Amino acid sequence: MTNMMEVLIVEDEMLLAMDIEAMVEDSGHHVLAGAASLRDVQALPGDLYPQLAFVDIHLAEESNGLDVCRYIRGHWPDALIVFITANVSKIPADFCGAHGVIAKPFSHAGIVTAMQYLANGMFDPPPSMPRPASLIPSPNLEPRWAKSAN
Amino acid sequence: MKQRDDWHLTDALEYEHGRGDPFAAAVRATRMPMVITDPAQDDNPIVFCNVAFQELTGYTRDEIIGRNCRFLQGPETDPSTVTQLRESIAAGQAIDVDLLNYRKDGTTFWNALYLSPVSDKDGVIRFFFASQLDVTERVEAQNIINDQKILVEREVERRTADLRAALDAKTILLHEVDHRVKNNLTMIGSLLRLQVRTIDDPSVASKLDSMLERVDALAVVHRQLYQSSDISLFDIGSFAQSLVSDVVGSSGRSDIALDVQSQALFVDAANASALGLILNEILTNSVKHAFAEGRSGKLSLLVECGDDFGIIKICDDGPGMPSTARSKSIGTSLITRLARQARAEATWSDNNPGTCVTITFPQTEARS
Repeated sequence: MTNMMEVLIVEDEMLLAMDIEAMVEDSGHHVLAGAASLRDVQALPGDLYPQLAFVDIHLAEESNGLDVCRYIRGHWPDALIVFITANVSKIPADFCGAHGVIAKPFSHAGIVTAMQYLANGMFDPPPSMPRPASLIPSPNLEPRWAKSAN
Repeated sequence: MKQRDDWHLTDALEYEHGRGDPFAAAVRATRMPMVITDPAQDDNPIVFCNVAFQELTGYTRDEIIGRNCRFLQGPETDPSTVTQLRESIAAGQAIDVDLLNYRKDGTTFWNALYLSPVSDKDGVIRFFFASQLDVTERVEAQNIINDQKILVEREVERRTADLRAALDAKTILLHEVDHRVKNNLTMIGSLLRLQVRTIDDPSVASKLDSMLERVDALAVVHRQLYQSSDISLFDIGSFAQSLVSDVVGSSGRSDIALDVQSQALFVDAANASALGLILNEILTNSVKHAFAEGRSGKLSLLVECGDDFGIIKICDDGPGMPSTARSKSIGTSLITRLARQARAEATWSDNNPGTCVTITFPQTEARS
């Protein structure tokens, strides 16, 4: 499948991680790896190339998604990063460079349509479908589409 | 005879006999303590004092005459008031101040001092005339009032801080509860979704899917509630709009055209869950029945508000549903009964072709 994204899931609540994995796979994308903490992310092999990362803010081992976001940007600068969190208010204004956030509790529709939109934008930027309400964009999303379109 | 010697005459005046200057006699006899000083002499000494002044200060005339007025000052006298006084005298201006003074026996009194220059016809200041009034009671009463005011203000500040701390604690608690509700709703949704994946029987799976959609709808209601600034109101208009795009979006159906005419429509937050579930039932029913078996079509959402009521109308252009089939579904009974709970009314009508469902409900304070 040409429009298949390689997805990294960073979530410490295993039930939610399993659920997101299932939604990713059901949407025709591929779960590259799962991680529950910053250390897990740092331990990922260097030859992985995630195109999309779903990142929770509150993570295991006292780590947080903002640090994970910085690490991902350092190692895989092309990856789209979307926070999935109940703590939307804890995200700084610049989103640490991430592209958006999906608030918990998320709905199946919210995650699936967000993935459709992101895949659409990734493989044929800018996205032709309207941005779903579930995906709250960061200031970095529009510039990202503009950059990839060139 | 020099003019200033007149005072000695006045001093010697036998006022009991009513002879001499009647004004001088009046000054001598008044209850108001008074002094007169002579700025032409070295250090501006007192050249006259009346009996009332002697009684106020406890000094005899001999101890008073020839001294500068500052002999009444003491360690607690406010230096800045003294400076004010000195500057007024130097400038030849009248002044009115409250000054702490000391009696001969060391006790203090608050002196409401009024001092004014007396000039001759050439404009040269000949004397300073000063009247004193013991206003200790007034000043002390004022001081007590001031002290009490400070105490009350401190107490108010303390209580305000207490209340603010209590409010902060309550807000933290509310957020914590919110957080747990969010986590639980998220987990319930995840559990249901994971379970659906393991079910082979399509009819069972589709019923579980319906459950999942209902939990999702509740989750969206909760999320919108906790994200809004006013937790007593719920914008059912924007909820309906995002639910329509969510439901159609997740169905993966690009052949269902959406016609959304929405606006903010506020309802009592207590009815948010019921109304949210109703809209979910109507929309998911439409997608499942009106656009079944890949039939394309148009789904429209209209949100309107009047002065004291709101209307949400959802129409499809599908084949329509016989009323008998409708009355048997759990969806229809959910819609009817939840509507009653939210003091709303659900009516079905023919869309030629298709079905329209109209929800009419009382709107909160017409805040659209």
